This record gives sequence, structure tokens and C-alpha cells, in this order.
Amino acid sequence: MSRAAVVDLGVRLGPLVLRNPVLTASGTFGYGDEYAHVLDVAALGAVITKTVTLEPRAGNPPQRIAETAAGMLNSIGLENVGLAKFRSEKLPKLRALGATIVASIGGETPGELIRLLEALGGERGVGGFEINFSCPNVARGGARFWATPRRLERTLRTLRPLTRGALIAKLSPDVTSIADLAVACEQGGADALTAVNTFVGMAVDLDHAGSHLGRATGGLSGPAIKPLALARCHEAARAVGIPVIGSGGIFNGRDALEFLAVGAAAVQVGTVSFIRPRAASLVLEEIQALLGARGVKSLGEWQGCLRDALEAEAPGPRRRALPAQARRALPARARRAGARR
Amino acid sequence: MSLASASGARRPAARPSFKTDRGTVIAPQPAWSQMTARVAGHRDVGAGHRWLELAMPAGFVEPTPGQFVQLLLADPSAVLLPRPMSVAGVRRLGRALSIEFVYAPVGAGTRLLAALETGDAVDVLGPLGRGFPLDQPWVPVLIAGGRGVAPLLFAADALAGGARRRAALRCEFLFGARDRAHLVALAEARSTLTRVGGRLHLATDDGSAGFKGNVLALLEGLAPRLDGTPVLHACGPHAMLRAVAEWALARRVPAYLAMESVMACGTGVCRGCPLPRSSSARAAFRSDRTPSLYGNHEFAMCCTEGPVFEAHDLDWARVE
Repeated sequence: MSRAAVVDLGVRLGPLVLRNPVLTASGTFGYGDEYAHVLDVAALGAVITKTVTLEPRAGNPPQRIAETAAGMLNSIGLENVGLAKFRSEKLPKLRALGATIVASIGGETPGELIRLLEALGGERGVGGFEINFSCPNVARGGARFWATPRRLERTLRTLRPLTRGALIAKLSPDVTSIADLAVACEQGGADALTAVNTFVGMAVDLDHAGSHLGRATGGLSGPAIKPLALARCHEAARAVGIPVIGSGGIFNGRDALEFLAVGAAAVQVGTVSFIRPRAASLVLEEIQALLGARGVKSLGEWQGCLRDALEAEAPGPRRRALPAQARRALPARARRAGARR
Repeated sequence: MSLASASGARRPAARPSFKTDRGTVIAPQPAWSQMTARVAGHRDVGAGHRWLELAMPAGFVEPTPGQFVQLLLADPSAVLLPRPMSVAGVRRLGRALSIEFVYAPVGAGTRLLAALETGDAVDVLGPLGRGFPLDQPWVPVLIAGGRGVAPLLFAADALAGGARRRAALRCEFLFGARDRAHLVALAEARSTLTRVGGRLHLATDDGSAGFKGNVLALLEGLAPRLDGTPVLHACGPHAMLRAVAEWALARRVPAYLAMESVMACGTGVCRGCPLPRSSSARAAFRSDRTPSLYGNHEFAMCCTEGPVFEAHDLDWARVE
């Protein structure tokens, strides 16, 4: 690691202040304690826990995992311990570890989300809630159900008064316009967005004339989706004023910097944690080192530095001036592109 | 918290304690770690099967028979996920630990593994899962099918090296496959059984080695001649394990079966390797006793609750 000065990586998601922009993606880090003996969960920006539902869920039948080219499909089906056990067993462990906690909650109806947030909204030590509007692997209350701007906006409006913590809406990439959903979430009172959840995918097993998964489809994650996720993240970040958390195929510090450069305020590290349990810590170290080596003093200088330069080639609904310090952090080529515009 | 402490995370963190409705609990500390090992040996053991020996760095916890590790090739690799691999043996020379594997290069991951040469780096995550309970007072009968031989070679070794009481028990080793070529690492099995004083019984579907028929028929013939109640430890294709489990359940013989599953993480986090619990296991289920930290009523995770299961833990009709 270079001996460059320590970069201020602090970031704010509405009422939630994080020490750095590295979060664990829901469903890839358990309830936060499983990996605690190999990395310091308190040093991460936040731990986003496995999506919890009102009642425990057993999840989908096997197979649940299929590896594909540079990616993996999962069909877990929101297996989780349910609200009661989450409160009585999982949260106390995570609090004891000193982590900044963002609880992921999922529901089949707005009413279920309301009940979850009524129960958890004031829970000690929970800094925010990520609403899973985008699970690809459940029959009811999944990505397709929530991919309606009006439904998202109304639901978030009813959830908003139930907590003083940050409300983060996690969106599916499999939509006609992620910008429309992002705007609806912002108008509904969300403090931040996560872009994106997994992409719906299939893997066919010709030898056994069926799916490689127990269900026909699963959610695709890993390096295969990074370019797709980056484009969705960029599109969402251009559409709203609230912070967007980038997610999808982030395996190292450079990947994270790409998401931050196109407008993400923070990033989630997901599938790579299955492969290298310490990955979230490593991504954080790499971000620190890479920004330090470029002479960047704070995350704010880097964040969004390529968003508007790229916008010149991709006209979108909204444009924003490039902050002067972000322009200085840009590579020379991008600065020229921005100037031409 | 400073970044320095994040980067120093190889050092185990203090075991956190926390308060729950049942009082203060110390969080169970998993024994696994992820470390870079070096290939110490890699050779053919016949019929395309490979024997791999990895020299482990200090601090890697010694696996027990039935446990597995996740092998991850160095970047860039054509496969994304690590490959779960059952441990076929461990060797200790002073403080140095090496772990042995036997495998058939049949899939994308194992074919890449087969290209490893002495000195190459492999990341190893483990030891993972629960192994065979070998401290039982009954006559150990080890049943291997094809490449399922790996953990049972390790078990035979461990039984011989165990307490004197166990060493006195003669292990019966049943080894079956469709033909002689699929008796994976047969020479290793012969030398291991000779060394530990166990008896090797072979079975092939085509009669090209040993008894003509499957291991279950072999077991059927052997059972009445055992000097004592048997306890079965088996690993092989699921169809074979199902037959062994059903045989054991019908006779109230204790049986432990090492299962396989596609996996992503191997540590209980991804919830990707479910096996269906039996109705009795569902009735007896208490999630606070399961090591998966959030096990569920319907499915057991192969990686953390297994890979070794007791016969009555699983619903064999639904095991694929």
C-alpha cells in the first residue's frame, strides 16, 4: 500500500453517517457475525443484513446455486430466521461486534413492510433500513411486484414516518426505466437507493433436460453483471438527488472506484464475499490506497467525477455541474471530455 | 476504527459476547480461515484420478475426517467460485501440516485444478463442516463409492491412530464402483488398509474387481459376520448413500453419510446448499442448536450442518 495520506472516506446517507462507503450486500454476509472472526465488521461502512421477513422462510428447494460464465445464479428464496429471531438473536450479536447496522427488510405487501418497520424502526443500533423491493426469487412480493413507480412511492410514504433511521430502497435492474423508479423512491421519501439487485437469469441443463436451479430462473451476480450494473447505477444517479449505492459485480477497489466515479455515493460488496470472506475489508483498503495514490483528499472529490462527463455522450433527464475539486481528481482525458461539453 | 485494524484481521478477533433473551451468550467462533497453500505433490493414481497434496501455512486448523475445504485457484481463473473438496488425509511433520485430496477431473473447476504443478499457489478455506463421529464404540464399517473414497481413507487412518480402544476395533472397508477403473485411488486404499489393519472389500457392478454387485449387497453379506454392532460411515453418489441410509434405518444401525452439494460459500452464509430434513428432524428442530447460525426447519445446509449427516436427519425420498 502506498504511503499516501489517509483519505477521508466518510459518507452520509440521509440521517446515517458512515465512516466509509463500503457496505456488505444483503444476503452475502449473513447476519454479520459469520465472517466476524476474519474481518473487522466495525471497520466497514455498514453491514447490511440478510433480508428479514415477518415470518421465518425456509427458502427455495435445491438446487439454489449455479455457476455461469464469470457469475453465479442463485435461487435462495429469501431464506431467513424471521422478525422475532432477528431481533432476539441476530441483532444483539451484531451490536456486540460494533458494526454499523443496516437491516434489510422484505415483504409481499406494503402492509408487511409497515409491520416490519413498526417493529424494527426504533431498534437500538440500527442505523438504517434497506427495503428489498427487488428479490428475483420469490413468487410474491418480488422484483416484478415492486417495479411500479406509484407503488414504490406510496409505500415509502407510509414507511417514512416509522423510523428516524435511513430508508434505502433496493431496486431491480430488470425494469424499463430505473430512473423512473429512482425518482419515485426519492419522492416517496427514501434517503438513498441501492442500484442494483441481481439480474434475472437462467441456466439450462441439457443433460437433465431442465434448469440447473430448482426453479426456472435465478438472480445473476458476479463480474458478469458489473458493466450492466454500472450503467443502471449511472442512470439512477443522474436521475435523483439522493445518494445511490452502487452494487453489482464489485470485486476489488478499482471496481468500487468505477461505481463511485459514475455517481454512486457508496458501494456494496456481495458475491466476492462468498469467494473471499475478507473481501469487504480488502475493497476498503484498496479504495483508500487508490484514492490516496491519486492525491484525492476526500471521497467527495472522487464521487461522481465521471458522471457528467459521461452524461455528455448519454443525454439524460438531468444535468448537474461538475464540482471543481472533482474535476481536479479526474483523469486528464475525462477532464477534456467534460470541457468539450 | 482505523484501517490498520481492518488489515490486521487475520488475527482472530476476541470472541464477542452478547445479551439475548436467554442471557449472555458467547458467539461460537468458527475454526476456518482462508490461507494460501502451496502444491507439495500432485500425481496420477490411475484411471485419470489425481492425488493432490497441499502444504499449509502455520495456523491452519487441522481438518478431521469428513470435513472439507474450499479450493480457490489464483486469479485470473476461468471459474469464479471455489470448489468444495473433501479431505483424503492429513500429514504432520513437526509443526508443518499438509492436506491431501483425491479427485477426478470431471468438471470445469477440477480440470483446472489438475493443471496445478508443485509450488503453485492455491487458496484454501477451511476446515469446513462437520465430519464423521469416529469415537463410537461399535464396529466401524466404512463404505465408499467411487471418488467418495477420499474422506473414508482419512477416516480409516484416524480410526487406527485414535485411542487404544478404537484401534482395537477392526475397520471393515467396503469400496464399490461401476468397474475397476472407477475404484478411485485403489492402490492408496490398499496401502492405507494394510497400514491400519483394516479389511478391504471390493465390489464392482461388472465384476472387474472383487464382488460382482454393489456395496449394499456386499454389506448385506458382511453384516452377519461382524463381531459386534456396526456403525456405518459412508460417502459416494447420493443414490448409494440413500440405499445405505435406508438399509441402516430399517435395521436401527447407526449410519453417517457424507453428502455433496453445489455450494457457493461453504460457510453457511449464502444458504445455497440445502438438503431436505426428515420429518423427525423437522419435529426435533431447534435452530439455536444448529451451527449454521440461522438454520431452518425445512432444510439443513450441507456445508455447516453436514456434510456428514446421520441417516435419520434427512428425507431420503427428497434427496436428489
